[in-house]
Amino acid sequence: MARSRAGSAVVGAGVLRALLKREMVDRHQGTLVGWSWGLLQPLLQFAVLALVFTKLLPNRASANGLPYAAFLALGLWPWQLFANAILRGTTALTDNAAMIGKVAIPHSYFVLTRMAGTAIYDLAGFVVVLAILFALRLQLTVAGLPVALIAMLIVSAHAIAAGFILATIQVFLRDAAQIVAQLVSLGFFLTPVLYERGHLPSAMNTVLAWNPMAPPIESIRGALMGEPVAGPMLAYSAVCAMVALLVARGMFLRAQPHVEDFL
Amino acid sequence: MSAPPDMTPLVEAEQLCKRYPVVGQRGDRMHALWDVLRGKPPRRVASVLEDISFSVRPGESLGIIGENGAGKSTLLKLITGVLTPSAGSVRTRGSIGALLELGAGFHPEYSGLENVRMSAALRGLSGDALDEKLPDILAFADIGQYIHEPVKHYSSGMVVRLGFAVIASIRPQLLITDEVLAVGDESFQRKCIRWIDDYLAEGGTLLLVSHGIYHVQKLCKQALWLAEGKVRALGDVFEVTQAYVAWHEQKGRAQIESEQSARAESGEFAVDEVLLNGDGARTPLHLPQASPLLVETIVRSADGRAPTVLVGIVRGDGSPVYGVSSDMDGAAPEALGNNRFRYRIAFDALPLLPGHYHLRVHPLDPEGVRLFGTTERDLIIRGASREMGMIRLAHRWLDATEPW
Repeated sequence: MARSRAGSAVVGAGVLRALLKREMVDRHQGTLVGWSWGLLQPLLQFAVLALVFTKLLPNRASANGLPYAAFLALGLWPWQLFANAILRGTTALTDNAAMIGKVAIPHSYFVLTRMAGTAIYDLAGFVVVLAILFALRLQLTVAGLPVALIAMLIVSAHAIAAGFILATIQVFLRDAAQIVAQLVSLGFFLTPVLYERGHLPSAMNTVLAWNPMAPPIESIRGALMGEPVAGPMLAYSAVCAMVALLVARGMFLRAQPHVEDFL
Repeated sequence: MSAPPDMTPLVEAEQLCKRYPVVGQRGDRMHALWDVLRGKPPRRVASVLEDISFSVRPGESLGIIGENGAGKSTLLKLITGVLTPSAGSVRTRGSIGALLELGAGFHPEYSGLENVRMSAALRGLSGDALDEKLPDILAFADIGQYIHEPVKHYSSGMVVRLGFAVIASIRPQLLITDEVLAVGDESFQRKCIRWIDDYLAEGGTLLLVSHGIYHVQKLCKQALWLAEGKVRALGDVFEVTQAYVAWHEQKGRAQIESEQSARAESGEFAVDEVLLNGDGARTPLHLPQASPLLVETIVRSADGRAPTVLVGIVRGDGSPVYGVSSDMDGAAPEALGNNRFRYRIAFDALPLLPGHYHLRVHPLDPEGVRLFGTTERDLIIRGASREMGMIRLAHRWLDATEPW
């Protein structure tokens, strides 16, 4: 072994940093506001939804005592973190085909940095949103933050698992990216981001409770609003995420030696 | 106390095979994914490399040659770890700097500088260490202000300059390059060759893929000839490259001949008969030096149009002496009826020096463009002349007083 393990770890860190910078900064080259798009994009999405559901369809909005915009913001940023990460992650390997074909670096780097590149903006955006909401002295409690943090970790685990699975499938079947885009928008409506699940018809209410993304989103909102959190459901979501991570790992490791053959 | 140099190979390939899955049809990729996930081998494969074994020790330089599609690039990709072998193994040790297929994995949308930073990071050079070397890299690449432009606006030569500059700054223990020298301009090629020469002199190790036999002979001590995914020859660079060049020449000749004979068989235009001084025998014609020669040829065309005829003389070793066609001189044939035509060309005093020649007659289409086969007759010029060359040029020696 000519190169020590510590040495390759240093190289690995350098590569990860370079790839992450590319995702976070270089990607927005040629735009007027540059990397700020990372923060602006969820903000604009929020503005559109807030406008639609407070001005155009006010009857559809239900907020459990919070101003609707605040209710929406608490669910939207965690969802965006998940959605953006898997949308970007799906094409992480195919978009980097040129580099994968020429330089031997672990393929997981591409998927991880791709997803981290959007997740960091969404996390930063969420922190800013929380700071604003607390500053506005809305009915929120700081005591909910630890639970919100755990729930965010579960959301991230779902995103990482889905990202790796989809990136692998996309290498073999380029249809994946098309389908994922549709599934993400379906998922958005099947997850209680825009609405309170309790206001749905009861059959739907029960079914959607098992959507693994529902418990963490509801927990974040509930915990910060000082409501009791459904611990078992959150645990259920965490178990789903663990299983998904194991499946993702298995798929990725099996496919890795063949990826370059299909890019 | 200095340890003896470590001569463990930097690259060691053993029975290396690479087979690509065949995914031409729509459902193939779906099956392939399913097979991969179940850990099953692919159903249909195309073999690119079979049973490749060789090793490269520190300080050695190996050139890899072969036709397009012989598997050269695939072999390099296996060595660098970009591809996974289907069977066999390849072990490497030490730092490897590879320029595969004319790019170091540059991204077209990003600027040259950003790509340099990425490329350096991928090779373990980042942060302050990179900042320190950056001026050298930019100086070596020498592409001026283009460094801030997206790489997609670069010429292929500029991309290679930049890629090579990064590798040069890293000085890997093993340098792998794929056709780098084919793209750069003269001055950059010289710069690269100088750099590689220095690098090898200082004990560097090189794996070079090139179609330029000259470069391989200049830079490598050994060569590996890949043909259809197998090792055709491995050994001393001159032996292997000469065998390769010879094989190519033979192949080129065979191809031309087979094209001509295919046309000849089509029967559009053909030579029926060649008479030398009235003699139609197949035996060699013996002539004294400076004798007259009459070449009479009867040609046939399928459509009744008069073919063009090319008459040429070549030496025994194939080097051409002289050739002329009927359309160059505006000569018209005599129609014999039945789509047959006769051309007659006379050489009043054939100025060939003694030796063995072939006289060749080729029928061409009436436009004088496509060639339909060759009819050859042997011609032996006898004589005791000690003059040199093939042709006697008219001349005279001048006396001391004779004006010119």
